[in-house]
This record gives sequence, C-alpha cells and structure tokens, in this order.
Amino acid sequence: MALLTGTGLIVKIVLLVLIGFSVISWAIIMFKLFQVHRANSESVRFMDFFWKSKRFDAIASQVDRFANSPLTVLFNEGYGELKKVVEGAGASEGSALSTDLGGVENVSRALRRATNSEITRLEKYLTFLATTGSTSPFIGLFGTVWGIMTAFESIGRTGSASLAVVAPGIAEALIATAIGLVAAIPAVMAYNHFQHKIRVLINEMDSFSTEFLNIVQRNITGK
Amino acid sequence: MTIRPAKVDRGIGVSCIVSTVIHLTVFLLLLWWGKLFPANITYQETYYVDVVNLPVANPRAGSPTQKGNEAQVAPPPPPAPASAMKLPEKSTPAAKTAVKPGAGAAKADPAKSDAAFAERMAKLEKINEARHEEAVMERLRSKIKASGSGRAGMPTGSGTEHGSDYTAYIQSRLKDAFAETISYSGKNPEMIVRIFIDAGGKLTRRTIERSSGDHAFELSVLRAIDLASEKFTPPPAKKLFEGVFVFKPQGITPNRGK
Repeated sequence: MALLTGTGLIVKIVLLVLIGFSVISWAIIMFKLFQVHRANSESVRFMDFFWKSKRFDAIASQVDRFANSPLTVLFNEGYGELKKVVEGAGASEGSALSTDLGGVENVSRALRRATNSEITRLEKYLTFLATTGSTSPFIGLFGTVWGIMTAFESIGRTGSASLAVVAPGIAEALIATAIGLVAAIPAVMAYNHFQHKIRVLINEMDSFSTEFLNIVQRNITGK
Repeated sequence: MTIRPAKVDRGIGVSCIVSTVIHLTVFLLLLWWGKLFPANITYQETYYVDVVNLPVANPRAGSPTQKGNEAQVAPPPPPAPASAMKLPEKSTPAAKTAVKPGAGAAKADPAKSDAAFAERMAKLEKINEARHEEAVMERLRSKIKASGSGRAGMPTGSGTEHGSDYTAYIQSRLKDAFAETISYSGKNPEMIVRIFIDAGGKLTRRTIERSSGDHAFELSVLRAIDLASEKFTPPPAKKLFEGVFVFKPQGITPNRGK
C-alpha cells in the first residue's frame, strides 16, 4: 500500500489509467467469453436441427430457440429474401427464368450482408483488447521512467546515495510497469483466443451460406 | 432493410460492474495479504569498529580465553605406561662420590624444591619486566626530548591539541558520513573546515577556512559534518576539541599544521 501512496502525481495518474484499462479489458473478456461460448454452442445445436428438418418454414418457426447463434441470423435473412423472391416470381409468371437466377443472387447477397454484420458484432470491443495489450506496458514504462526521474531528483536533494534512499523510489516507480503488464498480459491472451474462436464462427457462417444457397438452388429453382 | 442481430446484446455494463468488483476484491485481498504477512524490510545499520580507540591487549598477556571455553581445552596427553622402558643411566664417578647417606632427605621433598624454583622464576620475570619497562620509558623520554613535543607517541603533536587520537576518530566519522553525501561539479574541489566540539561531544561550530568554490561540494561537506556530528562522542578528558580537516573527493585529512 505504501508503494501506491508514496508515488508522485504523474505515476498515480498512470496507475489509475492502467487500472481503468484493466477493469474494462476484463469486462470485455467476460462479456466476450459469454457471447462466444453461447454463439458456439447454439450454432452446433442449430446445425443439428437444420439438417434434421425437411422444410424451411419448419426451421423458421423454431429459430427463436437458437437466438444467440449467428447462423440463425443468416437463415432468417436468407429465408426472408427467398420468400420475397418466390413471391415476386409468383406475381410475374412469364419471366420465371430470369427471376430464378436473379433470386438466387439476391439470397446470396443477403447472406453475405448478414455474415458481415455478424462478424462486426462478434468482433466488437476486440480492438480495445488489442489496444490494451499493446499500449499498457508502454504506459507503465512511462510511469516507471517518470518515477525514477523523481526518485533521482529526491536523491540529489537529500544528497544521500545509500540503498535505503534509492531503493524505495525505484520500487515505487516499478509498480507502474508491473500494473501495465498485469493489464496487458490477459488482454493479449484473450484477444488471441477470441480471434481464433471468431475465425471458426466465420468459417461456419461461410459453410452455412454455401449450404443454404445449394439447397435453394436445388429445391427452388430445380438446378 | 435492416438486419436483425442474433440477439440484442445486454451490453458491456454488467460485465464492467463485475470486473470492477473483481478488481476491488483482488486489491482488498492484496491489502489483507500485506497486513497478514508484512514485508520485513529492515535496514541494517552499519557498525564501525573504532580501530584507533580499540584497547590493545598486552601481547605478553597471552591470548584471551573466553568464558565457557574451558571445556574445549585440548585434552591432556595420555599418561605414560607404567611399564615404560627405562633408559640406562650413565653412571659418572662424580655422581657416585656425591651420593651420601644424608642426601636422601633432599630427594624426598620434591614439592618444596618446585615451589622454590617457581619463586625464583617469578622474581627473575619481575626483574626482567621492570628492566623492559624502564627501557621503553627511556626510549619514550628520549623521543620526546628529541621532538620537543608535549605529547607522548605523537611525533607531530604540538601538545596544545586535545587528544590526537580523537582527531583520528573524528576523521573516521567524517569519512563515513562524507562517503554518503559526496557530490561535486568542479574538477578538483577542495575545502578546509575548522570544527569545534564541546566537552559533551556536540558540534558547536564549523567554519570554512578555504574553499575551491564548488557549491555542490561545499554543501556535501557541510552535510557530511552535520551527519557525522550525530555520532560524535565526547573528547577525552572532557576538553574542548578544535580540528581542521581538508576535504577532497579522494578523502579527508586532518590539517595538523594549522
């Protein structure tokens, strides 16, 4: 405690900033852990349900059970677009071929847009983790350098160079680096972990989009 | 058309609160840990042995034996075997003639002769010691006469200064303090300071006799004197002490000529 109270104003500000970084990054870590875990588990369950079902409208009626899965968003978007295409095709019977081709493309675009929006949602706040991981040690280092500068200044003022005078000042200064590392290390580890998990989810979304388009093309347009 | 996300996220607010609580808990735990197991940082004070004023043991008095070491004294040599082989004695004609019937009485009282021998040895030692002391005193007297100094054992002593040994003691204290405070900005700083110490060992005055003009050095010297003065002991014979010391980055020397 004496280490914290004995520091100068600048070092105290640095420590507060670092503690703020740590609090926010841990909040993000917990939030993301919860979000990614739910997304993963519900995606697995949704895919299982999707392959077991025979009809899209049956899936659409049950999709709320997997509300946390990004695949449900893709399905909703694709299915909604598909319904519009089919309704549009029904209204203009004469131009069935051109509507069919254009309809699949529409569905594809809708799926791509939904994928992008889900990626954005999943990657939200990850930038802060990356920032914390890369800048916290430097902020801590700045606090340490400043602390050592003031420590040397006080050593010069007292005129004593004994270890009893030098050591406490340097110890107080080094605490800034320590807290910087405490904030940065979990942030970097969490960032890498979430990046990997989100990449897996993106691959799953791409696969699902392809499968959805294949099914649409096979069953609706008959190709 | 807007895309409906998988689920409206609750936001990061709840996580922030949880994170703050966790951080506070960790901080309190650390505080509690620090109170439970306080860091025992003790700065050991350096003790100096005052070589100048150390009592010197008489080399002739033998090595001091500490109390309790008696038990560790080397064991006595084993007793000679009873059936030790006797060396044949050379019988001289004189010895043969000296043997008289009355001589058996002297041989019968060996303790008496031992005591007499010890007494004689003690007398001789006493005489020898007295002679040695006399010789030492004579040498000292001649030395004092030759140097004209009023103080024994101090060839350069003027006889007016109060305890030359005390000067060395003060020099030693100043040296220790100066090692901690030394700082200078010039090339060859030098400073001569006159120090006055009262009968109680208290620094009464310090005057700068001469200085090279290095302000940082001057400050460090004055600080060293103040620091050292905390440990001064009273001068011998409770007399006032006045000494001049030359301070240089290389060390401190007493200026005996002044």
